[in-house]
Amino acid sequence: MLVKENNYMYEMIRTELTDILGDQFVGVKDADLFGHSVDYYWIPEMWHDRGMETPKPDFICHPSTTEEVAKIMKIANQYKIPVVPWGGGSGSQGGALPVYGGIIMDMKRMNKFYGVDKESLTVRCQTGIIAKHLEWNCNKEGYSTMHLPASISCATIGGFLAHRGTGVLSTKYGKIEDMVMSLEVVTPTGEIIRTLPVPRHASGPDLTMLFLGSEGTLGIITEVTLKVHPQPEAREFRAYIFKDFHTAMSAGAELMRSRLQPCAIRLYDETETKTHVRKVFGMELQQGAYLVFGFDGRKDIVACQMRYAREIMEDKYHGQDLGSKGGDLWWENKYKFFYPPFMFHIPQAFGTLDTVATFTNIEKVYYAMKKVVNENFPQARFIGHFSHWYEWGCMLYARFIFEGKDVPKDPREAAALYNRVWDLAIRAAIANGGVINEHHGVGLKLGRYMKDLYGSAMPVLEGIKKQLDPNNIMNPGKMGFKGI
Amino acid sequence: MNIEKYTDSIKACRFCFMCRHLSAIGNVTFTEADTPRVRASMIYGVTMYPERLTEPDLISTMYRSDLSGCCRRNCVNHYDEVGITLAYRADLVDAGAAPANIKAIAAELKKTPAWTVSGSGKAVYVADDYSVESGAAAAFLKLAGKVKVVKGGSCGKGLWVLGFRKDAKALAKKFVEVLESTKADTVVVSHTGIFDLLVNTLPEMGLKLKAKVMHSSEYLAGIKTSKKIGNVYYLESDFLRNYNDDYAFPKTVLKANGAKLKAFGTNDEESYSCAEGALVLDKIEPELVEKLAKYIEARADNPAKDVIAVASPYTKIQLKKYTSLNVKTIEELLAAAR
Repeated sequence: MLVKENNYMYEMIRTELTDILGDQFVGVKDADLFGHSVDYYWIPEMWHDRGMETPKPDFICHPSTTEEVAKIMKIANQYKIPVVPWGGGSGSQGGALPVYGGIIMDMKRMNKFYGVDKESLTVRCQTGIIAKHLEWNCNKEGYSTMHLPASISCATIGGFLAHRGTGVLSTKYGKIEDMVMSLEVVTPTGEIIRTLPVPRHASGPDLTMLFLGSEGTLGIITEVTLKVHPQPEAREFRAYIFKDFHTAMSAGAELMRSRLQPCAIRLYDETETKTHVRKVFGMELQQGAYLVFGFDGRKDIVACQMRYAREIMEDKYHGQDLGSKGGDLWWENKYKFFYPPFMFHIPQAFGTLDTVATFTNIEKVYYAMKKVVNENFPQARFIGHFSHWYEWGCMLYARFIFEGKDVPKDPREAAALYNRVWDLAIRAAIANGGVINEHHGVGLKLGRYMKDLYGSAMPVLEGIKKQLDPNNIMNPGKMGFKGI
Repeated sequence: MNIEKYTDSIKACRFCFMCRHLSAIGNVTFTEADTPRVRASMIYGVTMYPERLTEPDLISTMYRSDLSGCCRRNCVNHYDEVGITLAYRADLVDAGAAPANIKAIAAELKKTPAWTVSGSGKAVYVADDYSVESGAAAAFLKLAGKVKVVKGGSCGKGLWVLGFRKDAKALAKKFVEVLESTKADTVVVSHTGIFDLLVNTLPEMGLKLKAKVMHSSEYLAGIKTSKKIGNVYYLESDFLRNYNDDYAFPKTVLKANGAKLKAFGTNDEESYSCAEGALVLDKIEPELVEKLAKYIEARADNPAKDVIAVASPYTKIQLKKYTSLNVKTIEELLAAAR
C-alpha cells in the first residue's frame, strides 16, 4: 500500500472502512495481519520458518454482504489500494498473499446458506462458507455437492471458484466449474453483477466462465448457485496392480473411453505405489503401479458398471485384482495424506507439479517432467499420480521432494532452488502438450509461465483485466498480470 | 519453556489447515488468528524469538482460544494444539507477564473458601458452583441416594487453564486431600472440567487420587426412570468427548431411559459447548461466549421447542444466559422422568 501506517491518511482510510463494517470487522492487529501473510505455498512457509518477515496486509476487511464488498471496492478504487480476496487461505499457489499490502477481503463472514432447491437440485450460498460446512448443510437435507477435495475442511467455496478447484469425485461430477449454475460478482470498480441463471444457453459468451478461475484478479465472487446431487444408493471401489505404469495408464484410459462413467480413478506411478500407497493406505505393494476406481449411483447399475470395468482391467490389461478392500482402503484414507506427519513438510522442499493433458500426451508430459527433475536435481525425488480423469485425458499430480539436508538454509538460496525446479519442469510440461494447471490455480507461483502457456492469446486476457480493473487493484501481480 | 515440550505439535500444526472448520472461535470471529494453524505458527515464532512471548496481540489471541480439543480429535495423528496453548499460557505466567485482566481472574479464583464435607455414603459428590447453579447438583442428589457431598472450594482447574500452574497445583492438592479425607471409594462430578482435572490434570501435576472418578452420568448409569425421556438433542461435552476418548455414559444413560437422541446441527464434529474447555472464557471475553451461544442456537432445528441435553453444567449456564434454548442437564432430565 502506498500509505504508511504512521501517515494520518492510513487512519482516514481505516475510518472509511470501519464506517462500512464496524470496528470489529476491520482487522489491524498484528496477529491477524500475520495470519493472512502465510498460505499453503511453500515459499512463505519457508520464509516464516527461516524467521523472515512475510508481506502483510494493511487492513483485513470482513464483509457480511455483497453491498459491503461493493462499497469497499469503491473506496479501494478511490485510493488505488490493492485488494486481495481471501477464503480459507489454504491455496498452494500464493494466490491469496498480500504481496503489495493493502486490503485483504476475508470472505469467511459471508457464510450464509440459502438452502437446497429440491426441484432443480441446486443450492445457493454466499461464497465465504467453508466447503465442509456447505456440504454438511446439504447432507442434512439428503444431498451432496459431490465436491469433495482434500481441502474441503479448510477452503471456502469462493476459493474453489476462484481457482477452478476439483474434488475426488470429479471424474463423474466434474470440477467446480462444471457444478456452477450462476454467480454474483462484485467487479473491481464496485458494481454488482449477476451472470445468467443457467449454465447452458446460446445468449452470447459465458460470463460465468470468465470469472471462474480468475483468482480474484477480475472481481470478487460473492454468491453462487451450485448443482447438488442425491446421495447415491451405492458407491463401490476396486483396485488393481499393473505390471508397470504404462499398462495401468492404458487400462485407465480404456476405462474412460468405454464411457462407463466412473466417479473416480486414481493411478500411482511405480515409485509412489511403493512409498505413498504403503505409507498411507498400509498396503504392502513392492512393484507395479496401483490403480483404483469406483462407481456410484443405483446399486444395480453400479454392479453392472463394475462388471464391465473389471473385464477391461483383468481381461484386456491383466491387472492383479486387489479387490474391493484394496479400493475401499483408498477411499477411507483419501484425505489422510494431507494431515501431518504424512504430508510433506518443512524442512523438506516440495511442490505439486499439477499438469493436465490428453491421453495422447500425458505420458510424454510425465516422462519429460521426470527427466528434467531427475537430471537437474539428482538429490530430489520425483513421484506422480494421476488423479482426475476426463473423457479425453487426465491430470498428473507430480511431486518433487528435497529432503531437508538438501535445501539451503539461506531463504533466498532456497527460493532460488525451488523456483528453478518449477521453471524446468513446467516448461517441459508445456513443451509436451501439458497445461498448467488443472486445479491448484496459478497464483504467484506460476504467473511467470502464463505467457508461455497462452502465447499470442495472453494480450486478450490482459485486455479483459485492464477493462474490468482499470486501476489494477484486484490481486495485482498474480496469474501473470502486472504488479504494482 | 513449557512450549518446547510441544515442538512436534508446533511444527505439525503451524502450516496445517485440516481442522480449521472445527475452530469454534474462528467460526464466530472469522479471523485467521483464531485457528490452530496461526496460533501454532505464532508460537513457532516465539521459539525462534523468545521476546515475542509477550506481544500483546499474541497474548490476547492465545487467551481467547476455545480449547475445545476438536482439532486434536479430528487430527489423524492427534497433534496437541490445546497443549501448545496451555503451555504458552504457563510460560507467560512464569515470565511474570500475564496481562492484568487474566491476573485479576486468577486472583478471584485463588480467593477460595474452604471445602466443606457433609452427608454419608461410599461415594462423594462434588457440588461445585456451576453444578449447583445449573440445577445438576440438586437433580443428582435427588437420584443418587446416600452420598457424601463436598462443596464450597476451588479445585484449581481454572488456574491451570489460565497458566497459573503452581497455584493450580496447590489448590488441587488441597482438593485431593479433602476428597481423600472422606474415605469415599468413588468421586462423582457433574462438572466436566473437574472430571478432566481428576482424570488427566492431576497426573500432569504429579498428584494422585486413590478413589475412582466418575461423571454423574456414569454413576447414574443403572437408574431406571418411570417415564421415557423422549426426543432430545444431546450437545457433546468437549471435555468428555475430546479430552476423554468419547466418554459415552451421558448418551448411554439417556438412551437407557427412553431418550431418542436426535442429531443436533449439521454434524457431530464441531464443538457446541460455548468454550467449555476454556473454562473461564466467560470471564475473559464474555462477548465471545455470547457469539458461541448464538452460533449454537442458530443450528437448532426448532429453537423454541427442542429439548437440548448437556453433560456440562457450564454449557447449560452459558446457553441459558444468551439464548432461549430449552437446555437441561442430564441429571435434570433423569430426575424429571423418575
